[in-house]
Amino acid sequence: MNINMKSFCLPLFVTLFFLFLYVPIIVLILYSFNASTMPYEWKGFTTMWYKQLFASKEAWQALSNSLIVSTVSVFLSVTMAVLVVYNGFERLNRFFVFFYGTLVIPEIVLAVGLLGFFSLFSVSLGLATLIAGHTLLGLGYAVPIVHSRFCELERHLTEASLDLGATRSQTFFRVIFPLLMPSVFAASLLVFVISLDDFLIAFFCAGAETQTLPLYIFSVVRSGGSPMVNALSTIMIFVGALIVSFIALLQARKVVTIV
Amino acid sequence: MKKEDLRALFEKNMQFFMSIPAFVWIMIFFYVPLMTILGRSFFVRSRVTFVPSPSLENYATFFDCTYFTIINRSLLLALITAVACLLIAYPVAYFIARHVKTGKNILLFLVMLPFSVNMLIQAYSWFFMLGKTGIINTLLLNLGIISQPLHLLNTSGAVYVCVIYCYVPFMILPLYTALEKIDARFIEASLDLGANWLQTFGRVIIPLSLPGISTGFFLVFIPAFGEFVIPALLGGGKQMYASSLISYYFLTTRNLALGSAFTLLSSAIVLFVAYVIYSWLKKIRS
Repeated sequence: MNINMKSFCLPLFVTLFFLFLYVPIIVLILYSFNASTMPYEWKGFTTMWYKQLFASKEAWQALSNSLIVSTVSVFLSVTMAVLVVYNGFERLNRFFVFFYGTLVIPEIVLAVGLLGFFSLFSVSLGLATLIAGHTLLGLGYAVPIVHSRFCELERHLTEASLDLGATRSQTFFRVIFPLLMPSVFAASLLVFVISLDDFLIAFFCAGAETQTLPLYIFSVVRSGGSPMVNALSTIMIFVGALIVSFIALLQARKVVTIV
Repeated sequence: MKKEDLRALFEKNMQFFMSIPAFVWIMIFFYVPLMTILGRSFFVRSRVTFVPSPSLENYATFFDCTYFTIINRSLLLALITAVACLLIAYPVAYFIARHVKTGKNILLFLVMLPFSVNMLIQAYSWFFMLGKTGIINTLLLNLGIISQPLHLLNTSGAVYVCVIYCYVPFMILPLYTALEKIDARFIEASLDLGANWLQTFGRVIIPLSLPGISTGFFLVFIPAFGEFVIPALLGGGKQMYASSLISYYFLTTRNLALGSAFTLLSSAIVLFVAYVIYSWLKKIRS
């Protein structure tokens, strides 16, 4: 009985679990090649939804908005994170706990907080407010990642460099930044993915006119869905999987540690 | 002259100036908005003059049982999701941590991969599982178990299944970490000393993995309470959850004061419940 349970039930359960995890995603991908216009009926293979997606102005607009927001948020949050870690490490170290706040609070509270704040000052919602929100999200990930890497660096590297006559900025560009590079890279990728995927902050802070990819998907799915969204989802799944595999590879090679 | 002074000041304190943007950003866009919510929840705008005046009226509104039904519904969703995720994730984490010899990392990676899929897309994928002509109905019809397609979409069952589906990876990682750390000799000793497998599991393995259980529990419980996307897409809009009501106040009726009060009230309740569960888990541990 014991041996039976261990050698049979457990692997069976794990197999069922992986089916549970992957069947919905695989079905979603399959339906992106479905020739039927009705979303749930299989009528044969086609790539027409991909062609339609690539011809859709709305989707391209959403993609370009998403890319603008993600790129700017990555740039802002990672730059600020590196600056604060390098310059604030000695004197402001105990205040770094402030940056963990965004990870503890439910994201919807963050989103409505931002919305309430913008409306208080009558800021009109759009790409700029979205960037503000995503940079905030990004800081919550970028600061801890860069900070943990900086803590691993040997203290006397900075001191040696300064002693040998380099200025602080020379020390930064020639010694510290190259050593921080792996964590900067990992933080950038992570913030990029998080910003690209974020729905809640976009839903509350993007306003009525600005659409990002997740907002586009939400609006189409809410009105019943379309195989075009399956096509878009398929592309996003593969891009996301690629980026995550890349991060996992970096982590396995011990180039960088995340969280 | 003045410019020179400014420059000297800047150079002297450059380190400080370079480190403040991140702090300023997080203050302006995180801590100040939180304060704004808090402040706003204590003001009521007069219907005639639109001048805000301090009042507790926003909170008084919520002592109406409809609001508690909504908070209860979200709490129940979070609680059942966390327990279900624990029950599903435990055997899987146990298997990966203690039975797999090679390829542990690949299995872990496969668990985490769906995590990279946007939750909207994950929710959308359940349309194809649960729809009238979806996979589950087709399967059951072909097997002859049912003769009519079941109505699965737009039910609270659909919401539960999808929330569990999306949050299960959150649970596996901490459980895996805790289970992998257990010294195999403890288990052997317990079995040698005459405990059967079930006793060993209940008295040795579970207590030693309690830290992982409690981490995983809260990683699921708190975000599941605030889940917005899944009820909005799969719930059919029939039942309100806490987050749906928050968005209703902020976006539909634009009553920010009431919305702020409700956001704070529901956050406070969920944190309180989380705290109670946390102390209970801690008591078992000692």
